[in-house]
Amino acid sequence: MKVFGKILGRKGGKHRVWIVGGKMEKTIIDLKGKREDLSGRVHQLPCCVKHNGPATVSHYFKPKPSDGGDEGLPLQQAHFRGRLLQGTTLHLPHGYSGFVLAKTSPHKWQTSATFHDITYWNHHYAPSPNDDFSRAFHWLTLAQALHNPVTPEELASSSATL
Amino acid sequence: MGSRIVPQWASKPCAMGIDEAGRGPVLGPMVYGCLYCAQSYLKTLATLSFADSKTLKEEKREELFETLKTNDSIGWDVDVIDPRELSAKMLKKNKINLNEISHSSAMGLIDRVLKMGVLLTEVYIDTVGDAGKYEAKLSNTFPSIKFVVAKKADSLYPVVSGASIVAKVTRDRALREWVLDETAENMQRNFGSGYPGDPQTKSWLENHKHHIFGFPTLVRFSWGTCNTYFKDIAEVLWESDNLDEDGASNNSNGKRQLKLSNVGFTTSKKRSEEIESSGKGRCRFFQARKLEHLTHF
Repeated sequence: MKVFGKILGRKGGKHRVWIVGGKMEKTIIDLKGKREDLSGRVHQLPCCVKHNGPATVSHYFKPKPSDGGDEGLPLQQAHFRGRLLQGTTLHLPHGYSGFVLAKTSPHKWQTSATFHDITYWNHHYAPSPNDDFSRAFHWLTLAQALHNPVTPEELASSSATL
Repeated sequence: MGSRIVPQWASKPCAMGIDEAGRGPVLGPMVYGCLYCAQSYLKTLATLSFADSKTLKEEKREELFETLKTNDSIGWDVDVIDPRELSAKMLKKNKINLNEISHSSAMGLIDRVLKMGVLLTEVYIDTVGDAGKYEAKLSNTFPSIKFVVAKKADSLYPVVSGASIVAKVTRDRALREWVLDETAENMQRNFGSGYPGDPQTKSWLENHKHHIFGFPTLVRFSWGTCNTYFKDIAEVLWESDNLDEDGASNNSNGKRQLKLSNVGFTTSKKRSEEIESSGKGRCRFFQARKLEHLTHF
């Protein structure tokens, strides 16, 4: 399930520009710039379409609300290349945004659009919180806990309990 | 659609015929139709000039359908199977072939009519697949009914001929009144008959193929015919396609069924990595969630 050219980045002034990679090669990702909001239009399909570029998606891809789903997720269904897809829309957690990046030079990426939700689709089975894609979001909670600054008070209290 | 009021004669032993229309076409719905009446009415039914719907002209079929709808001694029903459903079932991971879909549709009709309160004692039906096996399957599901499963049942038994008219007229009307899901410009409705050999169908398919979406959802993507049109469109690789799957399977007509995994050439290993991330080599938390570490773009 690779999401080509899309990354999830943290909002907030400090992180507007990301620098990835180490040593000699640095890649600069500019998260400012043009900001078309693609919310409601970002789909993660259970397949790889070997094509890069625009397509008349709204004329051909017509998701409809569907019944079912034991987990209380609002489900949708659609058809792609003859296959039945069942999907659900996940809203990105508070504090996160999705970015669509375009390469402007060998080590420079520009934001061409942002989004705040992703609709992911399974081939012929209903989405559930146990799907890999849903579970990948667990990392965001974990990452926050790992990377939040620790205050001297917290350190003191946890040392005391040890 | 179909008869809704249970007639008085339904409590007497009844016979039913079942037939299909639109099994072969590459587009549009497949329709199963049934017609039933009291056993005592079968003789009269034989005089109603029902014949195998394929031998009748369209106007004659329409006329006969209207007549049988107003005939109080006859009941009928249809099951219209959407092309989206046909494609989806035949292309899902555990594929359901057209024979199985056909069997379920026919059995669904029998079930519906029985539940209405019609005393079915005999059912005549054209065979789909091996007649003996089909008969056994039907008799197992409905032990109280005597089944006659025969080739060309539609020309042998008037009750099946009637069912064939019900099915064929319903299929033709459904196609005629079909509302395309797609809203792109230049969508035409001149599908022709839908048979892969029909020149009008061929040119419609050629004019309506799409680089990304393949075809409008009216088309049965699981038909081998689609392969010919898909040669130069964008390749799509599915996560759900088994990597060790080889070759295309045959459907009952001996036609090759489309498997998108066969379009283009990639080795299994490369293909799986292309479609899915793995989290390979990382801590179990990431592996379980297939989270890869992206070190470069």
